[in-house]
Amino acid sequence: MSPLISIITKESKELLASGRGLAWLLTASLILSAFSLLLVGNTELSLLDNAQAVYMMMGTITALGCLLAAVLGSDAVAGERERGTLVPLLLTPLTPGIILTGKMGGLAIAWLIIYLISLSYLWAVGGTGQNLVQAVAYLALFGTPATLGFGFYSLALSARRESVRSALIIALITLIFLSSPLLIGPGLRHNPVGKAFDAINPIAVALNSYDSAIIDSQSFGEQMPRLAAALIWLGATAWWARRSVRSLHP
Amino acid sequence: MKRIAAVIVFIALAAHVSAAAAGSIGISLAPATANPTNPRMGDHLSFKSVITNKGATPVQGVVAWLGLVRVDPGNEQPVDLEDWSAQKAVTRTVLAPGEQLAVEWPMRLIQSGDYRVVVSAAERSARELVSSPFASFQVAPKQVIESRRVLPIAIGVPMLIALFILGRIMFRRKNKGER
Repeated sequence: MSPLISIITKESKELLASGRGLAWLLTASLILSAFSLLLVGNTELSLLDNAQAVYMMMGTITALGCLLAAVLGSDAVAGERERGTLVPLLLTPLTPGIILTGKMGGLAIAWLIIYLISLSYLWAVGGTGQNLVQAVAYLALFGTPATLGFGFYSLALSARRESVRSALIIALITLIFLSSPLLIGPGLRHNPVGKAFDAINPIAVALNSYDSAIIDSQSFGEQMPRLAAALIWLGATAWWARRSVRSLHP
Repeated sequence: MKRIAAVIVFIALAAHVSAAAAGSIGISLAPATANPTNPRMGDHLSFKSVITNKGATPVQGVVAWLGLVRVDPGNEQPVDLEDWSAQKAVTRTVLAPGEQLAVEWPMRLIQSGDYRVVVSAAERSARELVSSPFASFQVAPKQVIESRRVLPIAIGVPMLIALFILGRIMFRRKNKGER
């Protein structure tokens, strides 16, 4: 088995093979269940309200993915350091690139599982409304760079901080700050600062794309600048994470 | 009260201007024959209007647009057509005497209720608006988030995951016991 596959398998097993490890998945599904149950029985919803519900569900799923990425990324290096396994890992012939890709592989699998589970919720809430296929596609297209980018960012913090706690606090504060578009409506972000923040914030980019495609039924072409911003976020955080892991010494 | 007042003003204005400007432009409005008899939310309706220059001189710069108002008690309000119809207005540079401009107005039914639809038109030199008679339609409600879809997923998915976790724990304990 290649070293890369070994690391990915180890990371995935910690998340998926034990009952305790799977508790995060149960919690995520309970959150999505609670959210979808809140919407049942509201007969006054219009078709647009239905799209709004799908949009909110997508935002929740993306935020859950980023939260998971913040926790896993913060533990990726600092956790190894605290458990005393970082030095042995660095003494192996594994390159920083393989360590990084292996760690991120575990996170990518966790995100894939959240995504697959969330499809059933999207179908349940949005199956009778509009743009369900777009919702599925856009969640993959914009949720994935946001989540993986957050994983890279947290992993970089983890490599540069001494403890998981320190890296996690910074990652969570950043996540809360970037998630502010979930709470502050678009109307309140129309000043120049808000517009600039929306343009570079990966969570705002994802939310604005969901809004544009699911509620307003706008075309994919109109999402290209946002997709570019999402990919820049992913690329920049991957670069920083790689640089941070490279700077580690036994 | 504001909504009711807005609807009253809307209806009164439409009635007034169509009577006052009966001169050069006339507008008829009728639902398309293919429209469903009992439309529900999500269905598509279409209305056909014909704008006729009934005068003896050409009419310049004609613009016609669709208006929609909800009239069921307690919900009286003009409706923003943004999400209901992509076809919101048509223009014609010149409408010759006797010439007709036929326009089809497709519409997607977004919300349940009683509605009145009207086509209004203005020309460049006119001082008043011209409107068609109202066409009425009723949209039956449709539950957009169905409990029969949501409940099995909302209860079933966590339950399946919980069972899977339980299965993993029992499998591990059994393996440990065998060792």
